[in-house]
Amino acid sequence: MKIGVLLKQVPASDSRIKINGDQTGIVTDDIKWEINPYDEFALEAGIQLVEGKIASSLVLISLGGKDAEARIKDGIARGVKAKPEAIRLDDAAFAGSDPLGEARIIAAAIQKAGIDLLLTGKQAIDDDNAQVPAMVAELLDRPQVTFVEQLEVAGDSLTAHRVMGGGQVDVVMSPVQAVVTCDKGLNSPRFASLPGIMKAKRAKIAVWGAADLGLDAGTVGAGAAVVSEGAYRLPADRPSGKIIEGADAAAKVKELVRLLRDEAKVL
Amino acid sequence: MSQPTAPSNPTFDLFNPSEEHAMLRQMVADFTKAEVEPQAEEFDAKECMNIPLFQQLGELGLLGITVPEEWGGAGMDTTAVVIVHHELSKSDPGFCLAYLAHALLFVNNFFYCSTDAQKKRILPKVISGEWIGGMGMTEPGHGTDVLGMTTTAERTEKGWVVNGTKTYITNGPEGHVFMFYAKTNGKISAFLVEDGTPGFSKSHHIPKMGMRASSMSELIFEDCVIPHENLLGEEGGGLIHMMRNLEIERLGLAAMSLGIADRCLELMVKHAAERVAFGQSINRFGQIQRYIGESYAKTEATRALVYTVALSVAPDKHNRLGSDAAKLFAAPVGKEVADNAMQVMGGQGYCREYPVERLLRDAKLLEIGGGTLESHQKNITKDLTRALR
Ligand SMILES: Cc1cc2nc3c(=O)[nH]c(=O)nc-3n(C[C@H](O)[C@H](O)[C@H](O)COP(=O)(O)OP(=O)(O)OC[C@H]3O[C@@H](n4cnc5c(N)ncnc54)[C@H](O)[C@@H]3O)c2cc1C
Repeated sequence: MKIGVLLKQVPASDSRIKINGDQTGIVTDDIKWEINPYDEFALEAGIQLVEGKIASSLVLISLGGKDAEARIKDGIARGVKAKPEAIRLDDAAFAGSDPLGEARIIAAAIQKAGIDLLLTGKQAIDDDNAQVPAMVAELLDRPQVTFVEQLEVAGDSLTAHRVMGGGQVDVVMSPVQAVVTCDKGLNSPRFASLPGIMKAKRAKIAVWGAADLGLDAGTVGAGAAVVSEGAYRLPADRPSGKIIEGADAAAKVKELVRLLRDEAKVL
Repeated sequence: MSQPTAPSNPTFDLFNPSEEHAMLRQMVADFTKAEVEPQAEEFDAKECMNIPLFQQLGELGLLGITVPEEWGGAGMDTTAVVIVHHELSKSDPGFCLAYLAHALLFVNNFFYCSTDAQKKRILPKVISGEWIGGMGMTEPGHGTDVLGMTTTAERTEKGWVVNGTKTYITNGPEGHVFMFYAKTNGKISAFLVEDGTPGFSKSHHIPKMGMRASSMSELIFEDCVIPHENLLGEEGGGLIHMMRNLEIERLGLAAMSLGIADRCLELMVKHAAERVAFGQSINRFGQIQRYIGESYAKTEATRALVYTVALSVAPDKHNRLGSDAAKLFAAPVGKEVADNAMQVMGGQGYCREYPVERLLRDAKLLEIGGGTLESHQKNITKDLTRALR
């Protein structure tokens, strides 16, 4: 069984985000990049499946420019014991793709690479779209299991526990030819190791473009996008908190309850 | 824990000269934040080394950082060594000192003076972390004056008979294997001793002011017989190994001072922005600004010096002047910035609940261990004067 893991490069979760002057994106000069944290759970799951000899091989796939190679190498460095292959999907024709365009590119790569089980993060923390894995599953006509916090693979099938909120867990069985999106709690992602880093330095990362994937350039990129971004804006500043003054605690609690009910409307 | 750093040259990043250096820094920073920081206070109080955490360094491949890959190490350079000590010391200089004693004082030193047979026997155990190593140079009567050492090793048929005492040996209590220096026919030779060798013992742990997450003891040799194959390098050639290793050690130690300064600067800037006195943030007061401004300038100067010198120290490249200068400059900066942070934080800085008092205690060691400030001044003067001739 061949496992595919999608890795997306995103700004580090503690980055201070600034919007560029014409509101078309963020200022990337001072940004530190990292692997999308949810993809780290997918990566760890993939490594463990190969280490546990449940899967035969691991393929890391990233859609992104040359600068995303550092993230792929990070993935190789962590997964060094699973000897991952790595593919970067890059082509001028891909620029400006919307989630559906991205899903078409990735789906074509999954087919070409002969991936059985595709593991991804439940969403990327940059735009929080959570659309691409679902679209990839649809395009490939495979089952999708989202928000997975526990995963067992045995033979041709997998059993996954999905986080449903409110403490509810949904247990799903599926053939392994599926798309599984991973949530926190699935595992604790490992650190890269120094021998891994040295091996990653020498690793070859294949680059596949539209022609390699047999994609019609008209179906991807800005021209094919049906979703477009209007403008980037920072969320409005949060209004400052309110301090209830007074010496009588009971009266203050009463006032707090009134504010929560009448003003905040949360009670 | 992101640090303010001077913008580096766009075509050459002094602090991360290659992508592997950047990945190493990220890995050690992630590890430090997730695993090292949460235990630092506890092991300072317990005054012992966190052995499971140390073994994790083995899993990360950091224990043989300078050992070539064909011998199971990572084959990385002095800049990589500086990066690891810099990042670890932002959270736990004491733990980092135990790492330094193992990875530099023992492993790096041993690698460059051992035979293939010795390497095969020892390296796998110390690179994995199964064995903890240390190095014995200092004696109760001879520290800076190391050539005056009185420990002797006498060649006999059954092996080398060693007599003498080494003191202040980091990782002494926990260590399984040590490199040590002794006089053979009046000249210094390097040897290996394994724990459990008859005639070899250790004192109790010696309590100290700071760096408490690493422990130290005496190594005592009483008619201790060491097998012939435990001589490292040539008989009488120990001084060369000792001197060669001192450069990378001093850069590791200087990087620890830099890590302490970085962390303390961060804590002081944050505290000064948040703490309100007399109706305004204390960072509005000129006296506080002086602490912050001077700490920043000195930290940046340390960063530039330490990383610049690191480029010129390698197994086949030497820069004794540079490594003495880096440690001579960095150690007082680490201590001063920690002290400044304590002053800016007032009572909070002095309390054990916050890391500054621990970092200040740790920072002081770097003015003494691995060469006192005075020894660096002495070496620098000697080397500069020699260059006149
Ligand atoms: C926490 C800690 C860990 C250590 N770990 C190790 C270890 O793992 N292995 C090891 O071998 N050693 C270790 N040491 C020992 C350390 O290297 C010595 O303490 C150091 O070299 C100084 O030697 P000393 O303590 O004997 O001081 P001394 O050499 O006695 O110095 C006392 C004072 O005299 C000054 N002085 C001495 N000679 C001169 C001179 N010629 N000119 C001007 N001033 C001079 C010194 O600078 C100092 O101020 C450790 C020490 C400490 C505190």
